[in-house]
Amino acid sequence: MIRVQHAPFDPGGEQQALTKGRTDIGAVVSFTGLVRDFNERPDVTALTLEHYPGMTEQALADITEQAMHRWSLQGVSLIHRVGCLSPGDPIVLVLVASAHRRDAFDACAFIMDFLKTRAPFWKKEHTRSGHYWVAEREADQRDANRWEDEQ
Amino acid sequence: MSGSDNMNLSHMNARGEAHMVDVADKEESRREAVASGYVQMQSETLELLVEGGLPKGDVLATARIAGIQAAKRTHELIPLCHALPLSKVEIEFRVDEAASQVDVTARCRLNGRTGVEMEALTAVSVACLTLYDMCKAVDKGMVIGAIRLDAKTGGASGDFKRQPGETPIVTASCSDGEVGMPPRRASPGLRVKCLAELRERMGVSELDVEFTELEHTNIAGLKQALRQRDSRFSLLQGQRVLCAVNQVMGSDDTPLSDGDEVAFFPPVTGG
Repeated sequence: MIRVQHAPFDPGGEQQALTKGRTDIGAVVSFTGLVRDFNERPDVTALTLEHYPGMTEQALADITEQAMHRWSLQGVSLIHRVGCLSPGDPIVLVLVASAHRRDAFDACAFIMDFLKTRAPFWKKEHTRSGHYWVAEREADQRDANRWEDEQ
Repeated sequence: MSGSDNMNLSHMNARGEAHMVDVADKEESRREAVASGYVQMQSETLELLVEGGLPKGDVLATARIAGIQAAKRTHELIPLCHALPLSKVEIEFRVDEAASQVDVTARCRLNGRTGVEMEALTAVSVACLTLYDMCKAVDKGMVIGAIRLDAKTGGASGDFKRQPGETPIVTASCSDGEVGMPPRRASPGLRVKCLAELRERMGVSELDVEFTELEHTNIAGLKQALRQRDSRFSLLQGQRVLCAVNQVMGSDDTPLSDGDEVAFFPPVTGG
Protein backbone atom coordinates (compact mmCIF):
# COMPACT_ATOMS: atom_id res chain seq x y z
CA MET A 1 0.00 0.00 0.00
CA ILE A 2 1.46 3.32 -1.09
CA ARG A 3 -0.01 6.73 -0.34
CA VAL A 4 1.13 10.31 -0.87
CA GLN A 5 -1.08 12.63 1.16
CA HIS A 6 -1.43 15.97 2.93
CA ALA A 7 -3.24 14.56 5.95
CA PRO A 8 -1.50 13.12 9.02
CA PHE A 9 -1.41 9.34 9.48
CA ASP A 10 -1.77 7.03 12.45
CA PRO A 11 1.07 4.46 12.60
CA GLY A 12 -0.87 2.21 14.99
CA GLY A 13 -3.95 2.16 12.79
CA GLU A 14 -1.87 1.54 9.69
CA GLN A 15 -0.12 -1.41 11.36
CA GLN A 16 -3.46 -2.90 12.38
CA ALA A 17 -4.68 -2.55 8.81
CA LEU A 18 -1.54 -4.25 7.51
CA THR A 19 -1.81 -7.26 9.80
CA LYS A 20 -5.60 -7.59 10.02
CA GLY A 21 -6.77 -11.17 9.54
CA ARG A 22 -3.21 -12.38 8.94
CA THR A 23 -1.54 -15.10 11.02
CA ASP A 24 1.44 -15.67 8.73
CA ILE A 25 3.20 -12.46 9.82
CA GLY A 26 5.85 -12.92 12.49
CA ALA A 27 7.40 -9.45 12.51
CA VAL A 28 6.47 -5.87 11.70
CA VAL A 29 9.15 -3.21 11.59
CA SER A 30 7.93 0.36 11.56
CA PHE A 31 9.80 3.57 10.77
CA THR A 32 8.27 7.01 11.29
CA GLY A 33 10.12 10.12 10.17
CA LEU A 34 9.31 13.38 12.01
CA VAL A 35 9.94 17.06 11.34
CA ARG A 36 12.88 18.27 13.48
CA ASP A 37 13.01 21.85 14.74
CA PHE A 38 16.72 22.05 13.91
CA ASN A 39 18.46 21.10 10.70
CA GLU A 40 20.56 23.39 8.51
CA ARG A 41 19.53 26.21 10.85
CA PRO A 42 18.62 25.88 14.55
CA ASP A 43 15.12 27.37 14.52
CA VAL A 44 13.02 25.54 11.93
CA THR A 45 9.41 26.66 12.35
CA ALA A 46 7.84 24.81 9.40
CA LEU A 47 8.64 22.54 6.51
CA THR A 48 7.10 22.47 3.04
CA LEU A 49 7.31 19.23 1.10
CA GLU A 50 6.95 19.37 -2.66
CA HIS A 51 6.75 16.31 -4.89
CA TYR A 52 6.30 15.34 -8.52
CA PRO A 53 2.79 13.87 -8.71
CA GLY A 54 2.71 10.75 -10.83
CA MET A 55 6.41 10.06 -10.69
CA THR A 56 6.37 9.99 -6.89
CA GLU A 57 3.88 7.14 -6.74
CA GLN A 58 5.76 5.23 -9.44
CA ALA A 59 9.11 5.70 -7.70
CA LEU A 60 7.70 4.52 -4.36
CA ALA A 61 6.07 1.50 -6.01
CA ASP A 62 9.36 0.65 -7.69
CA ILE A 63 11.33 0.87 -4.41
CA THR A 64 8.74 -1.31 -2.64
CA GLU A 65 8.88 -3.83 -5.46
CA GLN A 66 12.67 -4.02 -5.23
CA ALA A 67 12.38 -4.67 -1.48
CA MET A 68 9.81 -7.43 -2.12
CA HIS A 69 12.22 -8.96 -4.59
CA ARG A 70 15.26 -8.87 -2.28
CA TRP A 71 13.59 -10.09 0.90
CA SER A 72 10.78 -12.42 1.74
CA LEU A 73 8.05 -9.97 2.83
CA GLN A 74 4.40 -10.42 3.73
CA GLY A 75 3.44 -6.80 3.19
CA VAL A 76 4.62 -3.20 2.95
CA SER A 77 2.83 0.05 3.76
CA LEU A 78 4.45 3.30 2.71
CA ILE A 79 2.94 6.73 3.40
CA HIS A 80 4.65 10.02 2.62
CA ARG A 81 3.15 13.40 3.42
CA VAL A 82 3.41 16.54 1.30
CA GLY A 83 2.46 20.16 1.92
CA CYS A 84 3.18 22.32 4.93
CA LEU A 85 4.27 20.55 8.15
CA SER A 86 5.29 21.73 11.61
CA PRO A 87 8.07 20.48 13.89
CA GLY A 88 7.02 17.21 15.51
CA ASP A 89 4.68 16.28 12.65
CA PRO A 90 5.15 12.82 11.13
CA ILE A 91 6.40 12.97 7.50
CA VAL A 92 6.89 9.40 6.43
CA LEU A 93 5.80 5.94 7.56
CA VAL A 94 7.30 2.65 6.42
CA LEU A 95 5.77 -0.59 7.73
CA VAL A 96 7.30 -3.88 6.67
CA ALA A 97 5.80 -7.23 7.60
CA SER A 98 7.62 -10.54 7.25
CA ALA A 99 7.68 -14.02 8.75
CA HIS A 100 11.02 -13.40 10.48
CA ARG A 101 12.46 -10.17 11.91
CA ARG A 102 15.70 -9.89 9.90
CA ASP A 103 13.91 -9.50 6.57
CA ALA A 104 11.64 -6.79 7.97
CA PHE A 105 14.50 -4.86 9.61
CA ASP A 106 16.66 -4.88 6.48
CA ALA A 107 13.85 -4.17 4.04
CA CYS A 108 12.63 -1.22 6.13
CA ALA A 109 16.12 0.33 6.16
CA PHE A 110 16.49 -0.33 2.43
CA ILE A 111 13.18 1.34 1.60
CA MET A 112 14.06 4.47 3.58
CA ASP A 113 17.58 4.66 2.11
CA PHE A 114 16.24 4.39 -1.43
CA LEU A 115 13.33 6.73 -0.75
CA LYS A 116 15.74 9.42 0.46
CA THR A 117 17.83 9.25 -2.71
CA ARG A 118 15.35 8.24 -5.42
CA ALA A 119 11.83 9.45 -4.68
CA PRO A 120 11.04 12.94 -6.05
CA PHE A 121 10.36 14.87 -2.83
CA TRP A 122 11.93 18.20 -1.92
CA LYS A 123 11.98 19.92 1.46
CA LYS A 124 11.95 23.63 2.06
CA GLU A 125 12.63 24.75 5.62
CA HIS A 126 11.10 27.88 7.06
CA THR A 127 12.94 29.63 9.87
CA ARG A 128 12.65 32.96 11.60
CA SER A 129 15.53 34.16 9.43
CA GLY A 130 13.96 33.10 6.13
CA HIS A 131 13.35 29.96 4.13
CA TYR A 132 15.61 27.81 1.98
CA TRP A 133 15.60 24.50 0.11
CA VAL A 134 17.26 21.67 2.00
CA ALA A 135 20.50 20.42 0.41
CA GLU A 136 21.11 16.76 -0.28
CA ARG A 137 23.27 14.92 2.27
CA GLU A 138 26.24 12.83 1.26
CA ALA A 139 25.48 10.41 4.09
CA ASP A 140 22.11 9.60 2.48
CA GLN A 141 23.85 8.71 -0.76
CA ARG A 142 26.33 6.49 1.10
CA ASP A 143 23.48 4.76 2.93
CA ALA A 144 21.79 3.99 -0.36
CA ASN A 145 25.01 2.86 -2.02
CA ARG A 146 25.64 0.15 0.59
CA TRP A 147 22.72 -1.82 -0.85
CA GLU A 148 24.19 -1.63 -4.35
CA ASP A 149 27.48 -3.07 -3.07
CA GLU A 150 25.66 -6.02 -1.57
CA GLN A 151 24.07 -7.03 -4.84
CA MET B 1 -17.86 28.98 -44.28
CA SER B 2 -16.29 32.09 -45.80
CA GLY B 3 -14.04 34.48 -43.93
CA SER B 4 -16.70 37.16 -43.61
CA ASP B 5 -19.23 34.69 -42.25
CA ASN B 6 -16.66 33.77 -39.67
CA MET B 7 -16.62 37.33 -38.38
CA ASN B 8 -20.41 37.38 -37.86
CA LEU B 9 -21.74 37.11 -34.35
CA SER B 10 -23.63 33.83 -34.41
CA HIS B 11 -25.96 34.93 -31.61
CA MET B 12 -27.39 37.84 -33.65
CA ASN B 13 -30.02 37.34 -36.33
CA ALA B 14 -30.39 39.38 -39.53
CA ARG B 15 -32.13 42.17 -37.59
CA GLY B 16 -29.34 42.32 -35.03
CA GLU B 17 -31.50 40.72 -32.34
CA ALA B 18 -30.24 38.14 -29.95
CA HIS B 19 -31.30 34.63 -30.86
CA MET B 20 -30.35 31.12 -29.98
CA VAL B 21 -28.59 29.31 -32.81
CA ASP B 22 -30.52 26.30 -34.15
CA VAL B 23 -28.12 23.41 -33.87
CA ALA B 24 -30.52 20.60 -34.83
CA ASP B 25 -28.97 20.15 -38.29
CA LYS B 26 -25.35 20.37 -37.19
CA GLU B 27 -23.26 17.21 -37.32
CA GLU B 28 -22.54 15.63 -33.96
CA SER B 29 -18.86 15.57 -33.16
CA ARG B 30 -16.62 15.17 -30.18
CA ARG B 31 -16.13 18.57 -28.59
CA GLU B 32 -13.61 19.44 -25.96
CA ALA B 33 -12.59 22.74 -24.40
CA VAL B 34 -9.99 23.66 -21.82
CA ALA B 35 -10.05 26.93 -19.91
CA SER B 36 -7.88 28.23 -17.11
CA GLY B 37 -7.49 31.03 -14.62
CA TYR B 38 -5.89 31.69 -11.27
CA VAL B 39 -6.49 33.08 -7.81
CA GLN B 40 -3.54 34.94 -6.40
CA MET B 41 -3.28 35.33 -2.63
CA GLN B 42 -0.97 36.02 0.29
CA SER B 43 1.59 33.23 0.74
CA GLU B 44 0.22 32.70 4.27
CA THR B 45 -3.26 32.14 2.82
CA LEU B 46 -1.86 29.64 0.33
CA GLU B 47 -0.13 27.78 3.14
CA LEU B 48 -3.36 27.61 5.13
CA LEU B 49 -5.18 26.40 2.04
CA VAL B 50 -2.64 23.64 1.44
CA GLU B 51 -2.59 22.42 5.02
CA GLY B 52 -6.36 22.63 5.41
CA GLY B 53 -6.33 25.32 8.09
CA LEU B 54 -9.05 27.56 6.67
CA PRO B 55 -12.26 28.06 8.65
CA LYS B 56 -14.59 26.80 5.89
CA GLY B 57 -12.78 23.49 5.46
CA ASP B 58 -11.44 21.71 2.40
CA VAL B 59 -11.14 24.55 -0.10
CA LEU B 60 -10.06 22.69 -3.21
CA ALA B 61 -12.61 19.87 -2.88
CA THR B 62 -15.40 22.42 -2.48
CA ALA B 63 -14.19 24.56 -5.39
CA ARG B 64 -13.94 21.47 -7.60
CA ILE B 65 -17.55 20.52 -6.96
CA ALA B 66 -18.62 24.15 -7.49
CA GLY B 67 -16.84 24.23 -10.85
CA ILE B 68 -18.43 20.98 -12.01
CA GLN B 69 -21.89 22.12 -10.92
CA ALA B 70 -21.41 25.46 -12.66
CA ALA B 71 -20.41 23.81 -15.96
CA LYS B 72 -23.65 21.82 -15.88
CA ARG B 73 -25.70 24.99 -15.28
CA THR B 74 -24.01 27.27 -17.80
CA HIS B 75 -27.21 27.54 -19.86
CA GLU B 76 -29.02 28.98 -16.84
CA LEU B 77 -26.43 31.75 -16.49
CA ILE B 78 -25.45 32.71 -20.04
CA PRO B 79 -28.63 33.71 -21.90
CA LEU B 80 -28.10 32.13 -25.32
CA CYS B 81 -26.27 28.97 -24.31
CA HIS B 82 -27.85 25.58 -24.96
CA ALA B 83 -28.31 23.06 -22.16
CA LEU B 84 -25.70 20.39 -22.88
CA PRO B 85 -25.41 16.82 -21.68
CA LEU B 86 -21.71 17.08 -20.84
CA SER B 87 -19.93 13.75 -20.87
CA LYS B 88 -17.05 14.97 -18.74
CA VAL B 89 -16.12 17.91 -16.57
CA GLU B 90 -12.72 17.92 -14.96
CA ILE B 91 -11.37 20.60 -12.66
CA GLU B 92 -7.71 20.67 -11.75
CA PHE B 93 -5.85 22.80 -9.25
CA ARG B 94 -2.17 23.44 -9.11
CA VAL B 95 -0.67 25.22 -6.17
CA ASP B 96 2.04 27.54 -7.43
CA GLU B 97 4.05 28.64 -4.43
CA ALA B 98 6.44 30.73 -6.48
CA ALA B 99 3.62 32.93 -7.75
CA SER B 100 1.58 32.46 -4.57
CA GLN B 101 -1.49 31.41 -6.45
CA VAL B 102 -3.76 28.50 -7.27
CA ASP B 103 -4.01 27.73 -10.98
CA VAL B 104 -7.43 26.43 -11.96
CA THR B 105 -8.04 24.42 -15.11
CA ALA B 106 -11.35 23.09 -16.40
CA ARG B 107 -11.84 20.60 -19.18
CA CYS B 108 -15.31 19.88 -20.60
CA ARG B 109 -16.25 17.30 -23.18
CA LEU B 110 -19.28 16.04 -25.02
CA ASN B 111 -20.36 14.42 -28.23
CA GLY B 112 -22.76 16.95 -29.63
CA ARG B 113 -23.63 19.76 -31.94
CA THR B 114 -22.28 22.74 -30.08
CA GLY B 115 -19.00 23.67 -28.43
CA VAL B 116 -18.27 23.50 -24.73
CA GLU B 117 -15.98 26.50 -24.29
CA MET B 118 -18.60 28.48 -22.36
CA GLU B 119 -18.97 25.53 -20.00
CA ALA B 120 -15.20 25.34 -19.41
CA LEU B 121 -14.97 29.11 -18.87
CA THR B 122 -17.95 29.07 -16.49
CA ALA B 123 -16.45 26.18 -14.55
CA VAL B 124 -13.14 28.02 -14.10
CA SER B 125 -14.89 31.25 -13.11
CA VAL B 126 -17.08 29.65 -10.46
CA ALA B 127 -14.24 27.49 -9.12
CA CYS B 128 -12.18 30.70 -8.72
CA LEU B 129 -15.09 32.49 -7.04
CA THR B 130 -15.52 29.56 -4.66
CA LEU B 131 -11.81 29.64 -3.81
CA TYR B 132 -12.26 33.33 -3.04
CA ASP B 133 -15.29 32.66 -0.87
CA MET B 134 -13.55 29.89 1.05
CA CYS B 135 -10.46 32.01 1.78
CA LYS B 136 -11.87 35.53 2.14
CA ALA B 137 -12.07 35.31 5.93
CA VAL B 138 -8.27 35.52 6.07
CA ASP B 139 -7.42 37.37 2.85
CA LYS B 140 -9.73 39.87 1.18
CA GLY B 141 -7.11 41.15 -1.25
CA MET B 142 -7.03 38.03 -3.41
CA VAL B 143 -7.03 38.57 -7.17
CA ILE B 144 -8.79 36.38 -9.72
CA GLY B 145 -7.05 36.59 -13.05
CA ALA B 146 -6.36 35.41 -16.57
CA ILE B 147 -9.59 33.49 -17.09
CA ARG B 148 -9.36 32.35 -20.67
CA LEU B 149 -9.91 29.60 -23.18
CA ASP B 150 -6.72 27.59 -23.65
CA ALA B 151 -7.87 25.16 -26.31
CA LYS B 152 -10.90 23.75 -28.02
CA THR B 153 -11.30 20.92 -30.47
CA GLY B 154 -14.16 19.72 -32.65
CA GLY B 155 -16.91 21.56 -34.49
CA ALA B 156 -17.16 23.60 -37.68
CA SER B 157 -15.20 26.60 -36.41
CA GLY B 158 -12.13 24.41 -36.12
CA ASP B 159 -9.59 23.77 -33.42
CA PHE B 160 -8.14 26.53 -31.32
CA LYS B 161 -5.05 26.59 -29.20
CA ARG B 162 -3.88 29.68 -27.40
CA GLN B 163 -0.49 30.69 -28.68
CA PRO B 164 2.16 31.65 -26.18
CA GLY B 165 2.45 35.42 -25.69
CA GLU B 166 5.37 37.69 -26.48
CA THR B 167 7.66 36.26 -23.85
CA PRO B 168 9.13 32.96 -25.00
CA ILE B 169 8.80 31.42 -21.58
CA VAL B 170 5.61 30.53 -19.83
CA THR B 171 6.14 31.64 -16.28
CA ALA B 172 4.42 30.92 -13.03
CA SER B 173 0.89 31.51 -14.27
CA CYS B 174 0.94 28.68 -16.78
CA SER B 175 -1.44 25.77 -16.46
CA ASP B 176 -1.15 22.14 -15.55
CA GLY B 177 0.54 19.35 -17.48
CA GLU B 178 -2.56 17.95 -19.11
CA VAL B 179 -4.06 21.11 -20.51
CA GLY B 180 -3.49 23.16 -23.59
CA MET B 181 -2.68 20.13 -25.63
CA PRO B 182 -5.63 19.17 -27.79
CA PRO B 183 -5.63 15.48 -28.66
CA ARG B 184 -5.50 15.94 -32.41
CA ARG B 185 -2.61 18.36 -32.65
CA ALA B 186 -0.23 17.33 -35.44
CA SER B 187 2.82 17.43 -33.21
CA PRO B 188 2.29 17.27 -29.47
CA GLY B 189 5.73 18.68 -28.64
CA LEU B 190 7.64 18.24 -25.41
CA ARG B 191 6.18 19.26 -22.09
CA VAL B 192 8.94 20.47 -19.80
CA LYS B 193 8.52 20.89 -16.05
CA CYS B 194 10.91 22.50 -13.60
CA LEU B 195 10.50 21.52 -9.98
CA ALA B 196 11.36 22.75 -6.49
CA GLU B 197 14.41 25.01 -6.14
CA LEU B 198 15.13 24.87 -9.87
CA ARG B 199 11.66 26.24 -10.62
CA GLU B 200 12.15 29.10 -8.19
CA ARG B 201 15.62 29.98 -9.41
CA MET B 202 14.63 30.00 -13.08
CA GLY B 203 11.14 31.42 -12.52
CA VAL B 204 9.61 28.80 -14.81
CA SER B 205 7.35 25.95 -13.80
CA GLU B 206 6.21 24.51 -17.14
CA LEU B 207 6.68 25.18 -20.80
CA ASP B 208 6.19 23.54 -24.17
CA VAL B 209 9.00 22.94 -26.62
CA GLU B 210 8.38 22.02 -30.25
CA PHE B 211 10.11 18.76 -31.03
CA THR B 212 11.60 20.31 -34.18
CA GLU B 213 13.53 22.84 -32.04
CA LEU B 214 15.84 20.03 -30.96
CA GLU B 215 19.03 19.53 -32.90
CA HIS B 216 19.72 16.31 -30.99
CA THR B 217 16.68 14.37 -29.82
CA ASN B 218 17.87 13.64 -26.31
CA ILE B 219 18.03 15.45 -22.97
CA ALA B 220 21.31 17.17 -23.84
CA GLY B 221 19.66 18.44 -27.05
CA LEU B 222 16.67 19.74 -25.08
CA LYS B 223 18.95 21.59 -22.64
CA GLN B 224 20.74 23.13 -25.61
CA ALA B 225 17.47 24.25 -27.22
CA LEU B 226 16.29 25.78 -23.94
CA ARG B 227 19.58 27.59 -23.45
CA GLN B 228 19.21 29.11 -26.91
CA ARG B 229 15.76 30.35 -25.92
CA ASP B 230 16.88 31.99 -22.72
CA SER B 231 20.15 32.21 -20.84
CA ARG B 232 18.51 31.41 -17.53
CA PHE B 233 18.28 27.78 -18.69
CA SER B 234 22.05 27.47 -18.47
CA LEU B 235 21.29 26.51 -14.86
CA LEU B 236 20.22 23.16 -16.29
CA GLN B 237 23.87 22.44 -17.11
CA GLY B 238 24.60 22.17 -13.38
CA GLN B 239 26.12 18.87 -12.33
CA ARG B 240 23.48 18.23 -9.70
CA VAL B 241 20.48 18.81 -11.93
CA LEU B 242 18.50 15.60 -12.31
CA CYS B 243 15.93 14.80 -14.95
CA ALA B 244 13.09 12.39 -15.61
CA VAL B 245 11.57 11.43 -18.94
CA ASN B 246 7.94 10.36 -18.70
CA GLN B 247 8.44 10.21 -14.94
CA VAL B 248 11.39 7.80 -15.05
CA MET B 249 14.87 9.01 -14.10
CA GLY B 250 17.01 9.82 -17.12
CA SER B 251 20.33 11.41 -18.06
CA ASP B 252 21.79 13.62 -20.81
CA ASP B 253 21.83 10.62 -23.21
CA THR B 254 18.20 9.60 -22.67
CA PRO B 255 16.47 9.77 -26.08
CA LEU B 256 13.30 11.84 -26.45
CA SER B 257 10.20 11.31 -28.58
CA ASP B 258 7.55 13.82 -29.56
CA GLY B 259 4.95 14.02 -26.78
CA ASP B 260 7.33 13.17 -23.95
CA GLU B 261 7.10 14.81 -20.53
CA VAL B 262 10.48 15.94 -19.25
CA ALA B 263 11.11 17.18 -15.72
CA PHE B 264 14.23 18.87 -14.36
CA PHE B 265 14.82 19.00 -10.62
CA PRO B 266 17.47 19.22 -7.91
CA PRO B 267 18.65 16.20 -5.89
CA VAL B 268 15.77 14.78 -3.88
CA THR B 269 15.49 15.44 -0.13
CA GLY B 270 12.38 13.60 1.04
CA GLY B 271 11.89 11.15 3.88
